[in-house]
Amino acid sequence: MAVSKVTVVISQGQGRNPVRRQLEEDIATMLLTEPGVDVSLVPHLYDMSHDHTGLLFLRSVPGNLIVLSWLYDRAARWTLDRTGVRGHEGLSLLKSAEEDAEDEDENDVVAKNGIGSVNVPNRRVYAIDLRCSAKAEDFIREVRRIAGENTVQTVELMSWIGGTPKPEQLQRYLQPERMLEARRAFDSGHATLEDKAVLPEDTGRRWYPVIDYSRCTNCMECIDFCLFGVYGVDALDRILVEQQDSCKKGCPACSRVCPENAIIFPQHKTPAIAGAQGEVGGLKIDLSKLFGGDSGESAIDMAVKERDRELLLDGREAVGTSVGIKQKVRDEIDQLIADLDALEF
Amino acid sequence: MSEPLCFMMGLFKAVIPNDRQYSRRHLWLQESGPGRYRVGFTAYSVRLLQDVYFLEWSIDPETVVRDQQEIGEIESAKAVSSMFPPGAGKVLSFNPQLLNDPSGINAQNYGSGWLYEFEPAANLLSAAEYVEFLNSAWQDAQRTIKGQVNES
Repeated sequence: MAVSKVTVVISQGQGRNPVRRQLEEDIATMLLTEPGVDVSLVPHLYDMSHDHTGLLFLRSVPGNLIVLSWLYDRAARWTLDRTGVRGHEGLSLLKSAEEDAEDEDENDVVAKNGIGSVNVPNRRVYAIDLRCSAKAEDFIREVRRIAGENTVQTVELMSWIGGTPKPEQLQRYLQPERMLEARRAFDSGHATLEDKAVLPEDTGRRWYPVIDYSRCTNCMECIDFCLFGVYGVDALDRILVEQQDSCKKGCPACSRVCPENAIIFPQHKTPAIAGAQGEVGGLKIDLSKLFGGDSGESAIDMAVKERDRELLLDGREAVGTSVGIKQKVRDEIDQLIADLDALEF
Repeated sequence: MSEPLCFMMGLFKAVIPNDRQYSRRHLWLQESGPGRYRVGFTAYSVRLLQDVYFLEWSIDPETVVRDQQEIGEIESAKAVSSMFPPGAGKVLSFNPQLLNDPSGINAQNYGSGWLYEFEPAANLLSAAEYVEFLNSAWQDAQRTIKGQVNES
């Protein structure tokens, strides 16, 4: 067995965007012949349920892992962490857009406050954003670089996971060529029953928060703010997303009240909420404002409004700012508004 | 039917037919039964979106909605957006043809690519009023779009 093997898992985009499909296919095809690299495709990382075979497969991968997904690398990394696919953060030279050296410094500072992940095995997990480049070659080059970087790591690394035999249902992930072929057939509407059997189970779009524990300070603001029972604490009294399916689709309110910006909604249109580093512009234009959305409010205002809307839709009463917002924050907002008024725009 | 109106988005000519009404949310509404209107994207919206890849509704048919309520999501080659109703009213049913393949929005935005049927509770705009609105809002719209492009 190749001791320095790296596994590359491509998390497919949602929908059937042909441009994305093509890039996934190009990368997978080029990696098929790459020595020391195994490649697989799974459905979109965020959408797979806990017992989806794609996640079972990801959890069974021993050694160093590179995950390519249509998510900000931070969102992908903590989505993986949440599903039990952990490892030390591998640093990729391909970064999600808009990151620069300055942001890196800021992150280092932030990281010190966070409570961090638990039970991290001794291996590296690299999360790479497929939106970094439109060229498959760029990703291949980075995979080679990472594979080279990890040649010294050996078998003992894998001991923690053991040589897990792959159950039959995971076999499909070991045959990326066949899966790509089935996917092409599916996209063109000519999939046979055999094709469908090698494709992973369908996933629907999901919506739930993902906690970045490198930033989270366990302050519990989110659990106080969310009135839908999404958050809970584990045996170590660490905050966790306990009831993800209680989360209200489209509502990112808890992320807005998080003082550390540690709550990621990978599918939100605002990059800062979707896991981009720092405050940045979007990769795609958000037309919501033109098509009828609100705008020009503070984060807390928006969060309160979003939460009230979901409460009302649930047949409950709106609570405004009376629940789950620290008085300190409210005072700060009042002060800010007073300051703004004083400026007389 | 009289000649359709049009609005110039730079060099692109957005056609605004006279046989229907409009909303400021860049949607057209055409009566399909008593108090029942088909709603679709105007040429202006489609031009901003370009190729639509994904469309999802977050509400069920027969839902009463208020103005500015988010009712779904759309993603295209160029943009993402939440979907909003033309105004307050009731969403009656969705165009089944778009559920699996939203590309009909690009192919026939004024025809078979309609989005949903709707019972409006608010006043609608005529084609002329909509074009007037487009004229007045074009500066702002450009700023919104270009502002986001420059940030990224």
